[in-house]
Amino acid sequence: MSALLELEDVRCGYGPTSVLHGVSLAVPEGGIVSLLGANGAGKTTTLRAITGGLRWLGEIRFAGRSLRRMHTEDIVGVGIAHVPEGRGILTELTVDENLKLGAHRRKDGATAVRKDYDRVFEYFPVLRERRNLSASTLSGGEQQMLAIARAMLMQPRLMLLDEPSLGLAPLVVRSIFEIIRTFNQADHVAVLLVEQNARLALEMSTDAYVLEVGRVAVKGASAELKGNESVRRSYLGY
Amino acid sequence: MLQRIRTAPPRYWLVVVVVLFFAGFPTVISSFQAGQWALALILAIAIMGLNILVGYSGQLSLGHGAFMAFGAYASAILAHRYKMDYLVTIPIAGLLTGMVGFLFGVPALRLSALYLALATFALAVVMPSLIKRPVGLTGGVQGISLPPVVVPQLAKDGFTMLTGSAMTSDQWVYYVTFAYALVLFWLAWNLVRHRAGRAMRAIRDGEVAAAASGINISGYKTLAFGISALYAGIAGSLLGLATGYISPDTFPVSLSIQLLVGAVVGGLASIPGPLLGGIFAYFLPIESNQWVPTQTWIPSQIVATVVKAGPAVTYGVVLILLMIFAPNGIVGLATAGYNRLRRRLRGAADRESGHMPPDPQTV
Amino acid sequence: MQEFLQQIVSGIASGGIFASLALALVLIYNAMGLVNFAQGEMAMLATFIAFTLVDHGVSYWIAFPVTLVVAFAGGILVQRIVIRPVERAPILTLVIVTLGLATLVNGVAGFIFGYVPRSFPSPFSAQTVNLLGAFVSYRDLGVIGVSTVVLLLIYLLLQRTTIGLTMRAAAHHPEASRLLGVHVSWMLALGWGLASAVGAVSGIMVYAFAAAVLGGIESPLGAVVGGLIVGVTVNLAGAYIPFVGGDLQLAVALAIIIAVLVIKPNGLFGRPSVRRV
Repeated sequence: MSALLELEDVRCGYGPTSVLHGVSLAVPEGGIVSLLGANGAGKTTTLRAITGGLRWLGEIRFAGRSLRRMHTEDIVGVGIAHVPEGRGILTELTVDENLKLGAHRRKDGATAVRKDYDRVFEYFPVLRERRNLSASTLSGGEQQMLAIARAMLMQPRLMLLDEPSLGLAPLVVRSIFEIIRTFNQADHVAVLLVEQNARLALEMSTDAYVLEVGRVAVKGASAELKGNESVRRSYLGY
Repeated sequence: MLQRIRTAPPRYWLVVVVVLFFAGFPTVISSFQAGQWALALILAIAIMGLNILVGYSGQLSLGHGAFMAFGAYASAILAHRYKMDYLVTIPIAGLLTGMVGFLFGVPALRLSALYLALATFALAVVMPSLIKRPVGLTGGVQGISLPPVVVPQLAKDGFTMLTGSAMTSDQWVYYVTFAYALVLFWLAWNLVRHRAGRAMRAIRDGEVAAAASGINISGYKTLAFGISALYAGIAGSLLGLATGYISPDTFPVSLSIQLLVGAVVGGLASIPGPLLGGIFAYFLPIESNQWVPTQTWIPSQIVATVVKAGPAVTYGVVLILLMIFAPNGIVGLATAGYNRLRRRLRGAADRESGHMPPDPQTV
Repeated sequence: MQEFLQQIVSGIASGGIFASLALALVLIYNAMGLVNFAQGEMAMLATFIAFTLVDHGVSYWIAFPVTLVVAFAGGILVQRIVIRPVERAPILTLVIVTLGLATLVNGVAGFIFGYVPRSFPSPFSAQTVNLLGAFVSYRDLGVIGVSTVVLLLIYLLLQRTTIGLTMRAAAHHPEASRLLGVHVSWMLALGWGLASAVGAVSGIMVYAFAAAVLGGIESPLGAVVGGLIVGVTVNLAGAYIPFVGGDLQLAVALAIIIAVLVIKPNGLFGRPSVRRV
């Protein structure tokens, strides 16, 4: 399997403070990779660097093509959907309008989009019910579902998820993760998953990276990391 | 005491220098120029009031000229109809305006930023016509002429002793204004450093969090409105003193706009900002008015139009450029420059001592 | 009664003009998240352009769309040159920039067209028509008609098309919109162009503010209703309350704003903002 997304020695930061000191990782085509680590380790920053939210040194390649100097809008256009920290819901708009925005750059015709709509509503029936309501009226879990549904409608090759479990009830988290896995298998969409909930993330992913203060401290197959007592103790805290 | 003076941070020395400068320089410039600088200081006082409201408590007002008008008319009516000494009326006018501002702050509590901006803007628009109504009290469109300024004998003697020349009424007005500016800036500085200032800034940065920390949101927001109006009232009253005549046209909408421009250009949420903003807001229109006609390269057949349109164009262009290059105002620009300089100096020191500089900046 | 009716109809006529500018404000707010203080000045400049065209013998029905296109392009140009450099600056800085712009445009208009006020020729005759027992001029009717059509088009564009949707998204959540592939900067420029063109349809700033606020700054329907209410009230107050007379009509508009805002802080049609903690 060739790598869909590759980061090579990526360094970046905010203003004078640098956050990433050389991160290298790879997400294979159709794979699920989790990115773990404590608060402030640089997980969110890594995702933001990928979609051009801040400038970086090193190299980021997507499908063999460098993302250097590309604008966020165009990076998104080549097939990366980013569900950001805080979900990025447009609260002034309705649920439906949010979904429409997800699909607005697709060129494969209205029928295909409509089919995807139906599928997304199958995954998240509650969104169909709330279709015409303002997105601000949704609960936290529903907003997370909306954000993921919207990302699905973008027909990405890679999905970046920033802590989808944050602030949600365990049962809701379970079902969201199930849906992500189903989507991953059905559409062969790769996922880079940033999570605090390491146990859940390792269950889902094939490979995992653990960041510590801006560097990759541990990497390996998820099953291996899960079984490794000392890694679990020192980095994952469970 | 001496120890404290020696260890005072450099900005205290800057304050001393600035105060001495403003105290001394009316003696070397013409009386007319002293009058101009008095007007700039008056604007600075009003802008400081606006700064407390906008910069520190996060509420927007596009109508502070209306509060200035209220203060000016309060003073003028007290002096004109009730024959009070004008100097005595200044603090009274300030307090009265402060109360009005406090009352205005109560309905303002219910408004979000944009609506408050529009409501205060409407207040500024309507103030001149409101003033015209009670003709008996305000003199209607005619306005009120104030008794000429009398320089007290004590001030006259003191000034002559120090400079050897006689004190003009403009210079006297300047020093009265200067004294008020000094006290009011000092009060503002104390306000923002202590409990009330912290509370206001907390509200500005996040009302929910502020409320959760037990801050009385409504109380401090209306208080900010009151204090802010008090500053504007005093400034308005001083304006009456400086110009000797007030009418509804003294307080057009553009005055309120000028104040906001000064506040933002100087630098919000800073103490020196309003001073710089006042100087800017007062002198830029005047300078652009004078600069354009002196340009000799303008062809003579269009010179008349250019002279008319030029100041507006210059003013607009300077304002836009300033905001592009100093989006956080003059003070923001100076702070950023100072920090960069300091970093560079520190970097040089590191090189000399053989330390590695920090990671290369990547952003 | 006859007189009263007449006042109401004239109120509606002027209210229609307020409504269209109020709508321009609402649209621009929705399409760029900003109140543009140069709106009135930009509209004036556009009117002067139209005036010059008509003055040179161009038919009104050609001059009108040409002016709209020029205003549209001008709006985009202004956004690209003046607003874009301060896009990420504090909102007040942006406000000051639009104020500077207002002064600048005013000066430029004065420079090109002079300071003599001119009356604008209208393609509609000043003759009046009897409408439900009150007299209205064809001119007022024409202005309201044209404004209504233009604004309806804009409304449909913003609310019913994808490009309108991306414009609204870009205005309110630039960061999140970028992640959805929206070219935010260009959408904002488009919003400016649009607002500038709509603004060119009419004038009179303060009443429009009043109307926009009255209806709720985010609600297009509110802007229209607000405009009509302001128009009628201001007219009636001017005619029947002696104290108000001519120059205090503005104060009436103010009183309406304050009263409405205190009772309904988000305007008549505004959605109350829900704050989640």
